[in-house]
Amino acid sequence: MRERKHQFWHDVVKNRTLLLMLAPAVLLFFLFSYIPMSGIVIAFKRFDYVGGVFGSPWAGLDNFKFFFESGDAWRVTRNTVLYNLGFIVLSNLIPMLTAILLFEVGGKWFRKITQSLLFLPYFISWVVVGSIAYSFFAFDVGTINGILKWVGMEPIDIYNTPSYWPVILLLVHTWKSLGYGTVMYLAAITSIDREMYEAADMDGANVFQRIRSVTIPNLYPTVIILVLLAIGNIFQGDFGMFYNMVGNNGLLFSSTDVIDTFVFRLLMGSNEIGMSAAAGVYQSVLGFITILLANYAVRRYDKERALF
Amino acid sequence: MSQRSKRKLGITLTSVLATALVLSACGGNNAGNNTGGNTPAANNTASNSANTGSEGQSGVDTSQEVKLKMVLLGAKPADYDQVFGEMNKILKEKINATIEAEFLAWSDWGQKYPLKFAANEDFDIIYTSNWAQYSDQATKGGFLELTDDLLSKYAPQTWAAMPKVKWDQARIEGKVYMIPSNKANEFTDKLVLIRDDLREKYGLEPVNSPETYAAYLKAVAKNEKAMTPYGLESAETTNHNLDKLLLIQKNNWKEFSGLPFSVKTTDEKAQVFNMYETPEFDQLLTYYKDLADNGGWSRNALTTKGSTTDDFKVGKVASMTHNVTALGGVLADAQKAHPDWKLALVDLSPESNKSAAISTQNGMAVHATSKNAERALMALDLFQNDKQLHDLAMYGVAGVNFTPEGDDKFTKTDKYGNYNSFSNWAWTSTLDRVDSNYPQVAQDVEKLWAGKVYNYKLESFVFDKTKVVNEVANVGNVMMRYLVPLEYGLIKDLDKGKADLIKQMKAAGSDKIQAELQAQIDAFLAQQK
Amino acid sequence: MSVATIKRQGKDKILLSIIGYTTLIILAILCVIPFVLILSSSLTDENAILVNGYKFIPSVFSLEAYKLLFEHPEDMLRSYAVTISVTAIGTFVGLFLTAMTAYVLCRKDFKWRNGFTFYFFFTTLFSGGLVPWYLLITNYLQWKDTLTVLIVPSLMSVFFLLVMRTFMSSIPEAITESAKIDGAGDFRIFLQLIIPLSKPALATIGLFTALRYWNDWYMALLFISDDRLAPLQYYLYKMLGNMEGLRRAMLGSGGGVAIDIPGESLKMAMTVVACGPILFAYPFIQKYFVQGLTIGAVKG
Repeated sequence: MRERKHQFWHDVVKNRTLLLMLAPAVLLFFLFSYIPMSGIVIAFKRFDYVGGVFGSPWAGLDNFKFFFESGDAWRVTRNTVLYNLGFIVLSNLIPMLTAILLFEVGGKWFRKITQSLLFLPYFISWVVVGSIAYSFFAFDVGTINGILKWVGMEPIDIYNTPSYWPVILLLVHTWKSLGYGTVMYLAAITSIDREMYEAADMDGANVFQRIRSVTIPNLYPTVIILVLLAIGNIFQGDFGMFYNMVGNNGLLFSSTDVIDTFVFRLLMGSNEIGMSAAAGVYQSVLGFITILLANYAVRRYDKERALF
Repeated sequence: MSQRSKRKLGITLTSVLATALVLSACGGNNAGNNTGGNTPAANNTASNSANTGSEGQSGVDTSQEVKLKMVLLGAKPADYDQVFGEMNKILKEKINATIEAEFLAWSDWGQKYPLKFAANEDFDIIYTSNWAQYSDQATKGGFLELTDDLLSKYAPQTWAAMPKVKWDQARIEGKVYMIPSNKANEFTDKLVLIRDDLREKYGLEPVNSPETYAAYLKAVAKNEKAMTPYGLESAETTNHNLDKLLLIQKNNWKEFSGLPFSVKTTDEKAQVFNMYETPEFDQLLTYYKDLADNGGWSRNALTTKGSTTDDFKVGKVASMTHNVTALGGVLADAQKAHPDWKLALVDLSPESNKSAAISTQNGMAVHATSKNAERALMALDLFQNDKQLHDLAMYGVAGVNFTPEGDDKFTKTDKYGNYNSFSNWAWTSTLDRVDSNYPQVAQDVEKLWAGKVYNYKLESFVFDKTKVVNEVANVGNVMMRYLVPLEYGLIKDLDKGKADLIKQMKAAGSDKIQAELQAQIDAFLAQQK
Repeated sequence: MSVATIKRQGKDKILLSIIGYTTLIILAILCVIPFVLILSSSLTDENAILVNGYKFIPSVFSLEAYKLLFEHPEDMLRSYAVTISVTAIGTFVGLFLTAMTAYVLCRKDFKWRNGFTFYFFFTTLFSGGLVPWYLLITNYLQWKDTLTVLIVPSLMSVFFLLVMRTFMSSIPEAITESAKIDGAGDFRIFLQLIIPLSKPALATIGLFTALRYWNDWYMALLFISDDRLAPLQYYLYKMLGNMEGLRRAMLGSGGGVAIDIPGESLKMAMTVVACGPILFAYPFIQKYFVQGLTIGAVKG
């Protein structure tokens, strides 16, 4: 016991500089994340102003009931996960390929300008995206049906057809996050050691072979970390996107409802802090389990690449 | 990369956002959004606050000057200093107090409002309303209970002027927490606004019934390709916007907002029934389907973006629904912009009884932990009943923001907007002036309706959802998912659609809500006797 | 290198260029088109938008939306100033902290690195919600209406931290090892060796941090009620919200005031005003952020 303690202090002294370097961040997260985290208890309380966060009466698991008794808990959870899986694949794959192309073909100016242009959608708020989407998709006045009619095809009723929506949402999400991802992968590519390229060239590899055997493998760590980070939040729906694209269109719920929009709708009009906190806890716990499993899987495959 | 943004606040933020959106659904008919039963028994229990009785039985001690902090919704008016400066002169003289107002912007009040209570910030008076979670903040202990003693002592003029029914409507579990606004004639009933010039153009009969209205909508759909015949008031509801007019008002029902239930206002026993299981609804459904198939509204009605009011004003929409005051405003604006239009306000069920607006629509409450509760009440008393202060608080400085005309009328000046940018309608009262530009037709409707107001026992009943909160949430969701598309004619097979709806509502617990509602109503009526 | 190899390389380069330019140009167009629509709508008369919808060329040209935005130019400029200062300070400090922390976490000889990584990562999964957070900042720290509240809580993001760690772990360990042998301390190694070697990563995470500060309105929404401290995005957000809220509220209460607010074109103009500077200025000032850190390194 004593030996261990001694060992611990020894390590602390040995790593004092590194620990000091960590200190600001550790404090920052303690203050702004861990202290407020105690508020999770609200999910198990019947919150009132007299008692506040800690003094309000306990409610047991009552706050969770509304969600599970709805009969839709499974459907919205499944939707959330499937959409997020789609987002993870597309918003890593497409930006990665874009970054590779940008790195290989462009001159400095071309690269800079294209990068900036790809970033434009990032700045358009979901409210505005929703309005523009409507002007494209609307049945009678939409651009898409305008084009279809012009080429002599039947107009399509996008806002009343649930099956179009997974595709639309995946594309819109990819479009909006394209610039962000591209810049990130471009940075990863730029960090690859020049010598590796030269070595590949010396071996007589053509550009495509070089991309496949040098660039892409060197991007694995970035891909893995981004995917792992996304998996932790796989039960969180992007509320702004779903709400502004779909709104309260009941016909589309079967294919577009995610946990966040569903809970929002159920609690609309009431101010049940405890119930929304309960939904949050549900998402967090599932996300936590998933990330532990995913991290374990990565560790087994390659210890160095795991998150923790 | 979906999680690059801070997810910290997660779903809690989402739900708080809900509040902000509720504002948009506030067409003036969210009356049923309250919880709390109603026990009108005189409430003589002393307030739990330490503020009562600091003084003897006689006058009120105002020797010490106090500054009252008031929280209001909306943008801070450009002329805040001038108008509130004038108001403070009066308040200082009469009750030795001044007011400092904080404004929660329209864009974010929904998030900040509950936080101010949760963090127990220092303020004395706050705006409240049934659509601003009046009952919720009250049950959570955010407001000071306003006992009869407190009111009669510190707000005697209001206590005398306010009809008893308005206090009763403001009761949460028998206790009053707000001073409701005391406007004389305010109606929750809805009308339609139509383009009568178009009606004449197609040689149709005057619109005065659901049938003639349907004929009008279909004629517009057929002839005016660029126009949407019916523009939705709001896509954020759990039923068709016209249900209020064609089902509830037409048949003299009382609805419980967000729920599928009604009672007949004339039914002594007040038997609760599901509106969507009645023959009246079956008929209406056929009516809707016919309209939908004939282009009566946009095929994308459920996703409509933009505002119907704007669309109506530029001539893209041929009719809209709302309450009389709102439509009066739209009518005046549209007429001004298009003198060639003929506009008509139509009551689709002129035979029906009319209901006065519930008093909790607007009001002011005192913070539970206010240190100056007496003075706060005294100030609110003056806001409603002191002519000079009331004029200032409602319309701004005379000659600058408005021009008074006699005692009961006014006209807006160019600078009207420099003051009227926030929830100053919280203290409307019998001293209100009428805008002399408010259209005569709207005034006529109000006058006509005033004689048709039907008072019934259940009028001030508010449903306490506490015991069935999960069921209410789930039934609301079912209505949005199965009822709304069905009513807008987006489901081909009406019978099957209806069967699905009923089945899903039952599964979501509608029977339990119905039983609870009936039990509360029975108890309420028993007490009334 | 043989002639054949060069020839083959030439061919595949041409092929790649064709594929590359075509794809990139198509993608860029897809990203630009909606923006052109926004720009054009922001310059269109409100009534024309209501009647004709969004068009690529303004059907009725109008500067009304921009006039309204710049109705109080001093407020607008002040909000720009707040945003720029917050972004500049926050990005610089935040980037430094992120890099320093990330470096420690990627040191393979640091015994507790997994533990600490988990400590940071865990905060992305669980949150106590809005109420305790609000209480902490207003009641305990009393940071309401200060620039501090706009800067400090957003200094670091776990996402940026872990991405940075990944970037840094591609730096060969040998560099740290040999410097250690030369007797350099950990902090000096970080300043003088690691920072200069991480330029692309710093530039990227710097950009993301800057964007986060630039686009943030939520902190201001919660904690800033003094208009003089309102950052740009919040200023715009509030302006739009007040107009729409007022319109709805007036309708609901029957105020019946004629308010002609160019809602649609205003929304579009706000998008333009809000993204312009950071989008087009950042690529050029980016290097100064990185240089700033690197210069610190040389001096250190």
